[in-house]
Amino acid sequence: MDALTPMRAPAFGEALAAPLLHEVLRALESLARDASHATVIDLRSLPLDEAARSALRGRLGRGEVEATLDVAGTTRIEESAYAGVWWVCHLAAEGAGAAAALEQIVVARVPELLLAHPEDVAEAAQRLAGELAATPCGAAP
Amino acid sequence: MSEATVLADVLRRQGVSRRAFLKYASFVTSLMALPPALAPALAEGLAKARRQAVIWLSFQECTGCTESLTRSFSPSLEELIFEFISLDYHHTLQAASGEAAEAARRQSMHDNAGRYIVVVDGSVPAADGGVYSTIAGQTNLAILQETVAQAAAVVAVGTCAAFGGLPGADPNPTGAVAVSRLVTGKPLINISGCPPMPQAMAGTLAHILAFGKLPELDALGRPLAFFGETIHDRCYRRPYYERGMFARSFDDEGARHGWCLYELGCKGPVTYNACASLKWNGGVSFPVQSGHGCIGCSEPRFWDRGGLYRPLSSATASSGKVIGIAAAAGVAIGAGAAALARRRRGASADAAAPARAATADATAPARAATADAAAADRAAAGSAAKED
Repeated sequence: MDALTPMRAPAFGEALAAPLLHEVLRALESLARDASHATVIDLRSLPLDEAARSALRGRLGRGEVEATLDVAGTTRIEESAYAGVWWVCHLAAEGAGAAAALEQIVVARVPELLLAHPEDVAEAAQRLAGELAATPCGAAP
Repeated sequence: MSEATVLADVLRRQGVSRRAFLKYASFVTSLMALPPALAPALAEGLAKARRQAVIWLSFQECTGCTESLTRSFSPSLEELIFEFISLDYHHTLQAASGEAAEAARRQSMHDNAGRYIVVVDGSVPAADGGVYSTIAGQTNLAILQETVAQAAAVVAVGTCAAFGGLPGADPNPTGAVAVSRLVTGKPLINISGCPPMPQAMAGTLAHILAFGKLPELDALGRPLAFFGETIHDRCYRRPYYERGMFARSFDDEGARHGWCLYELGCKGPVTYNACASLKWNGGVSFPVQSGHGCIGCSEPRFWDRGGLYRPLSSATASSGKVIGIAAAAGVAIGAGAAALARRRRGASADAAAPARAATADATAPARAATADAAAADRAAAGSAAKED
């Protein structure tokens, strides 16, 4: 043993990335069979080190959709190069380089977080109707 | 607020969308190691819950527990819990003072009898009738007894409230005791730590609100989701421990290379908390990552366990001495101490099993186990003192 040689980070994190991709594949196949079958994989609960996380992210690649949500802090949602596979990251703080409070791979047609909730939609319709009723046609509210 | 008003309606008026509920639910399910698929159900549960009245009592404490929660690094997420609850009484945070503050506490107790949650931080001085700490002319002891009488549940946050903490350290001149020693017949959760992790406090409250029951608890009445593993179990330095590579001073070659801090007094192998996985300051770091061993602040009597910088092998009971001998021998230590930690964890899980089996009144057996475990701990500490 060379006591002065820094030890490499444990490799089990990297080893986890491969089975994780197979889990994504199974979820994607389920989604292809049933469009309502969504799967969420919580990355925070897995012992992935930074290198493994970056490798996994790189392996999944970038797709057509990116969204930033300003809901109780910032959330970034990016579709991967595989349609229906999304990388969801809730940031723990504002600004570039902020750590993730929660990272997930969501396999779904659209992550549920992007959908407007029916109750919010109903309230929005009610609010807009009220504003239009209170405002003369064509005037700014 | 009308009785029928649910959180979703209250918060929608404040501009909080259902997306925020879902995001928070995803965060909490992750923290509590619940299946991610449960997040929508948790969000619905929160949305349909009544705003929970909470009375926060601060006794022999330093306000560190409140600081931990209110100054958490991701306030938008963790502080959402303050939107979900009606914090009717809290010395540090409330605007009212004096008689008006005490009136607010009694009003909340009256309006929410049988439904409110009491959060306690700080131990309770019980010696000499409790005269060592009074608020508005009442002893902490009397306030606690009066307030918990009609509470739905009690949450002891911080090691002082959970186990007596620093005020209870030898020679304990005020007779400081844990809340569990004084509260009987009520569901009780301990969220220990000095301070406790904000995620543990917020996550536990959110679980109660959404599911209407206590989370699974360990033998010391702590939520298993946050206290189910030792610091050592999830420590990134553990591979060095397994290889017997230890720093022996804070400035030696081992310390510079980030080797295991066991011989510098790290209490990680016997400390149950989530610091190593959740970390502090927005997931940036935790004490071991900053080069200092875990001091075991979430365990009973951590201050009196023989010294923060003495290895476990010399600071605790005889089982630790066995480990110490192995440590001196070098590499062999890893398997032995890890096995001991696993045994303790297994025993802890076994002791908590009755608590997990019961749902509606899960805390009664848990508290009984707490008392037993505390007694065992005191015995171990006494034994260590004699041996030292």
